[in-house]
Amino acid sequence: MVSTEAPLEDLIFRGEPDWLRENRRSALESYQRLPAPSKTDEEWRRTDVSRLDPSAFSRFEKAPAHTTMATNLPKGVILESLPVAARDYAELVQPRLFSLAQAHRDRFTALQAALFTGGIFLYVPDGVEIDEPITGRHFSHESGTTVQPHTLIVAGKNSKFNYLDEYIAEHDDEAGYRSGSTEIFLGEGSQVGYVAVQKWGRNVWHFSDQRAELGKDATLRLFNVTLGGKFSKTRVEASLAGEGSNAELKAIYFASGEQFFDFHTLQEHRVGNTRSDLLFKGALQDVSRTVYAGLIRIEKHAARSDAYQANRNLVLSDKAKATSIPMLEIDNNDVRCTHGATVGPVDPEHLFYLRSRGITEATAKRMLIQGFFGDVLDRIPFEHARKLVEAELESRIG
Amino acid sequence: MADFEIKDLRASVEGRQILKGVSLDVSKGEVHAVMGPNGSGKSTLSHTLMGHPGYTVDGGSVLFKGQNVLELEPDERARLGMFLAFQYPVVVPGISMTNFLRTALNSKRGYDGKDKSKQVTPKEFRSMLKDELEVLHMDDSFLPRYINDGFSGGEKKRAEILQMAMLRPEIAILDETDSGLDIDSIKFVADAVNRMRGPELGILIITHYTRILEFIKPDFVHVLVDGKFVLSGGSEVADRLEKTGYSEWGKEETAQPQEVA
Ligand SMILES: Nc1ncnc2c1ncn2[C@@H]1O[C@H](COP(=O)(O)OP(=O)(O)OP(=O)(O)O)[C@@H](O)[C@H]1O
Ligand SMILES: [Mg+2]
Repeated sequence: MVSTEAPLEDLIFRGEPDWLRENRRSALESYQRLPAPSKTDEEWRRTDVSRLDPSAFSRFEKAPAHTTMATNLPKGVILESLPVAARDYAELVQPRLFSLAQAHRDRFTALQAALFTGGIFLYVPDGVEIDEPITGRHFSHESGTTVQPHTLIVAGKNSKFNYLDEYIAEHDDEAGYRSGSTEIFLGEGSQVGYVAVQKWGRNVWHFSDQRAELGKDATLRLFNVTLGGKFSKTRVEASLAGEGSNAELKAIYFASGEQFFDFHTLQEHRVGNTRSDLLFKGALQDVSRTVYAGLIRIEKHAARSDAYQANRNLVLSDKAKATSIPMLEIDNNDVRCTHGATVGPVDPEHLFYLRSRGITEATAKRMLIQGFFGDVLDRIPFEHARKLVEAELESRIG
Repeated sequence: MADFEIKDLRASVEGRQILKGVSLDVSKGEVHAVMGPNGSGKSTLSHTLMGHPGYTVDGGSVLFKGQNVLELEPDERARLGMFLAFQYPVVVPGISMTNFLRTALNSKRGYDGKDKSKQVTPKEFRSMLKDELEVLHMDDSFLPRYINDGFSGGEKKRAEILQMAMLRPEIAILDETDSGLDIDSIKFVADAVNRMRGPELGILIITHYTRILEFIKPDFVHVLVDGKFVLSGGSEVADRLEKTGYSEWGKEETAQPQEVA
């Protein structure tokens, strides 16, 4: 996809403002300059991308995202396709776009910054509350293509709303290159619920960054659902930059067949009196593999901060493998911090108890898998998304 | 021929033989008490009968409705009409009591998600629950809670009996349902069991103590020591144990509980 520049200009850059074209070119340079991930890199030690050649997927799908509620949004709210917003609302978009997900830090983030197609920009002004959740639905239609939507959300002071990104493959067996990244800026006192549901095709390579920066007293409830891809790498990062801010980071994943999922999370407490609570729960079937690596970083001046991190894996097959690596970096003693990881099969005592009541093994297992996800599903920030995720999970648990 | 026949059952746990040849005939309409000191193998018997995967059957057979249930899966045994009230009911996070009870009832009736006519209706389910909750002096606040999660010892035991009442087994094994219960709870449990008592149900009450037998009068009493029955008879056996405990078999324990507060 990165072979010659001229077709790219035609394909993607055309009609875009100069600053964005400039940023894209510079990100492309980063992509070309940054070395391919190697096994000696801690982040890539268990995550093999040596067989990925993005240029094999040089056809871009540029289908615009479908958004709901575009009509009856409160005054001042902007819900627009990202390329259009980059042109019409440059003063809001330019300073923020790819400032959390930085192109020079990572090859695949660079690729996203260089070649994102479509995506959504949401701006909610100060003091505005939106009751109904806003949804963005991103589609892929073909195998072998590249689809790279990007979401940029700006929450004004004391604004309050919920947003759902859904990544949907037209054909479940699609191959190709997919992303779906999000940057969220939470202004002072804002309350944002964000849910991302990744259902790309089973044979795609998927890379995603979900990053948020929280101002004073802001609250983020982020929920990630990872279901698609033969390879999926997701970074979730919350930067607690304002006192009193609070980030809830939750995720579920369900891996089957030969799927490989990688999650890297960062809870970055930059100032004091901040709180983060992370829970990632996954179930693995067949020969699937998952890697979770999470870092809690509490900076020197971030006293009186609370940080929690847990990763729980339900391994449903002898051949599936979950790896969990919690990490701490704490430069202040006046904090509360816990982390934990579990990897294990269905508890045989639980299974026996259910079966002793006449419930078949298959049904009992299904109930236990649903039960395993139960407490985290309860944390999905809004009803619409909860229903969707529950249905999605049910159909996969079978 | 009895309805439920245990013949020379031998079973081991982690390579250690615990049941050393247990035989017992239970017919519907009868109540049998199995008494024994700690560690005599009572729960090994109950778990082996229900098919717990941690117990290995080394020999013998258990005949029920023309089948050797030892060859069946635990859920098949339950659907055939067996029920075990656990000594230590398991906490299962993430599954509500309601969901559990409804799924169990549907499974018992052979509803597999297809033939809706077999499915328990919400109305029927509610009315069944309401009746049994009353008898057991339970309120319905625990129904949305996860299975046994945060239940007190007594609540767990009562919830076991509630499940039994809903599932209407033909052979019920009650493994120390009385232990840890105060006298009121024992009475509630006994009331519920006595309501179910009748020609359609055979009961095996496993207990360490004689007290529950004052409320659920057994037809037969068997004493299990070191994995074997050492004495069988009528209710007079319980009276004898009440006085002398298990001392005649070299065990110090009494068969009377310390008062529970
Ligand atoms: N899962 C197990 N692993 C190892 N040993 C076990 C296990 N279950 C039972 N045993 C052993 O088998 C023997 C019989 O245990 P069992 O639980 O059947 O006794 P019990 O009569 O039910 O005792 P209690 O009155 O304490 O309930 C004991 O010595 C016990 O330690
Ligand atoms: Mg026992």
